[in-house]
Amino acid sequence: MEEVEQLAAESAVVIFSVSTCCMCHAVKRLFWGMGVSAAVVELDEDPRWEEIDRALARLLGGTPVPVMFIGGKLVGTMDRVMAAHIDGTLVSLLKEAGAFWL
Amino acid sequence: MVQEGEEETRMANRRVGETGLSDSGPSTRSVADGIHGTTPQAATNFFDQEGAAYFGELEKALMQGVDGIRETEEDTKGGPSLFPSSFGSLPTLTTSTTDTSWLIASFFATRPATLEIFPSWPMRSQQTPRGKTRSATSTDLGSAQDTTTSHLGSDSTASRKASSDQSADQEQAMMTMMIAGDGSITGSTPTSQLASEEKRKMTGSAAGKDGKRLDAKTLRRLAQNREAARKSRLRKKVHSNLKSPISDNVIFVYRIDLMHQAALNKQAYVQQLESSRIRLQQLEHDLQRARSQGLFLGVAGSANGAITSGAAMFDVEYARWLDENSKHMSDLRGALQAHLPDGNLGVIVDQCIANYDELFRLKEIVAKSDVFHLLNGTWMTPAERCFLWMGGFRPSELLEILMPQLDPLTEQQLLVIGNLRLSSRQAEEALSQGLELLHRSLADTVTGESLSDGVDVGNYMGHMAVALGKLANLEGFVRQADNLRQQTLHQMRRNLTIKQAARCFLAMGEYYTRLRALSSLWASRPRQRSKQHLIQGVPSSLPWEKKVSSAATMAGPEQLGSKSPIIPWDIHMRKMQPKV
Repeated sequence: MEEVEQLAAESAVVIFSVSTCCMCHAVKRLFWGMGVSAAVVELDEDPRWEEIDRALARLLGGTPVPVMFIGGKLVGTMDRVMAAHIDGTLVSLLKEAGAFWL
Repeated sequence: MVQEGEEETRMANRRVGETGLSDSGPSTRSVADGIHGTTPQAATNFFDQEGAAYFGELEKALMQGVDGIRETEEDTKGGPSLFPSSFGSLPTLTTSTTDTSWLIASFFATRPATLEIFPSWPMRSQQTPRGKTRSATSTDLGSAQDTTTSHLGSDSTASRKASSDQSADQEQAMMTMMIAGDGSITGSTPTSQLASEEKRKMTGSAAGKDGKRLDAKTLRRLAQNREAARKSRLRKKVHSNLKSPISDNVIFVYRIDLMHQAALNKQAYVQQLESSRIRLQQLEHDLQRARSQGLFLGVAGSANGAITSGAAMFDVEYARWLDENSKHMSDLRGALQAHLPDGNLGVIVDQCIANYDELFRLKEIVAKSDVFHLLNGTWMTPAERCFLWMGGFRPSELLEILMPQLDPLTEQQLLVIGNLRLSSRQAEEALSQGLELLHRSLADTVTGESLSDGVDVGNYMGHMAVALGKLANLEGFVRQADNLRQQTLHQMRRNLTIKQAARCFLAMGEYYTRLRALSSLWASRPRQRSKQHLIQGVPSSLPWEKKVSSAATMAGPEQLGSKSPIIPWDIHMRKMQPKV
């Protein structure tokens, strides 16, 4: 849990993903398309993946990837990210977290 | 005498009622009433309707012994009662053969004209001397196989033609026809025929006291009866083994049992037929309904005829959804035209949105079972399929279509809707690129090490398993795409006034309706078919073609909110030409 929080705090936007997962790729593309540089934690390449996996499971139930943290706060999985983007709340969150190069 | 007979009739009827066949009462009574002076049809009717009750009666009659029968015989001769008083006093048949044989023997010994149990002829013709009757009876008894026939036949005929030595054939034929009437499934018709035959026979030889006068008609009848008797005898061959050791009387009883069974079977069979008929009607009705909803399991499957059950169910649900949608559209249209207050209009708009939510829910369900059905778009009409993106419409595209229809928009609204269009486009891009990665990854997995070196069995299944896992990701993409669509619709609702939202959803509905109409026109465009076929209307053989409800014209800067009639193909084509 602390790992996750620590990692999430490291950058404005943190994505927990798996390198082969296509949905994670889509999320990454989304942020890159918006001009946001997100810190990506590839669970299949990180040695701490077990703890992260467990922590994420406790947070969200199941072990979904990709999982987004913006400004250290949990946003959620692709569903939530999409909804937030359409809402317009994603952009404001990103702005708050200073993810945009402004 | 007559009174006694009537009383017996009543008793008999009561007993019949006890056996559970209640409608036997009125029928026998009516028959009894009706036959006064004419041929008693009772026996035939009984065979036909109340076989069971009748034979119950018979059994009782046989068991009770036959004392006093002779005395009452003359009495009952005078009246057209169905059941001679003797009948009422007859016992129930036991299953013991020996008892039966003794009883039957005694019964028939003392009661030669026994056969008045099955009176088919008016008693008045029984004026013939008893001896003649008995001799006729015995000759009939003597006949080997058709004992029953002969007995009953002799009953029918003995009274009438005892003096005229009618052939055993004829007598047997009469009774055979009665039995045939009973044995056949629809007993009523033959027996009524039989009854009428007998009646005609009777009237035919009205002066048949001496029995020697026969009409041509009667002769014909006799020939027919002979034929029937022959057929019946062939059928009864199976009973021939009973002939020798057991007395003919016992055979008679045995055959009564058979007839009893036959009557019961016939009843059960008729009931079965009835229920089957009802079930068939229901099935036909269901099939028609399903067909009208566009459930074409063979045709709709295109190349691969096998459409999965999840997909089929979705198709049906989608057809229903389309109906709901068109209903909401007309509600919206009516509400806008009537300038309803915002409250009411808001309710209708919310209903409309709820319907769309329902569609997304349905799509989620089918995505779990058969994602490829959504992806290949067979549930859509061809024109809609042009715009297919991840199993549905592309939100940014739709927004671009709808925005001009929503004028006037405030600055704020313009900003928000613009942002919505942008963000939906970005999300679409992201999802498309994710899907692209999936394609590449899947292609890599299927290719494996090499395609041209042949199949390495060890790795093959491993690769296939990995590929299967990757295919499963498709469901996730379709779900995200639907999620995107749903969020877009909700966002629009949130940022428009109620009136604007109403116009927005109406425009959307109208747009898709026109796309569907276009599909129908496309399907019916003149290729090999004659123009006549078109002018008469749209051929409605394809499922989605049934949903055509409004405007055929697609071109032109018309407002999507208005409605125009369906027009024939050639006029439509002229309209579609660019105006010079």
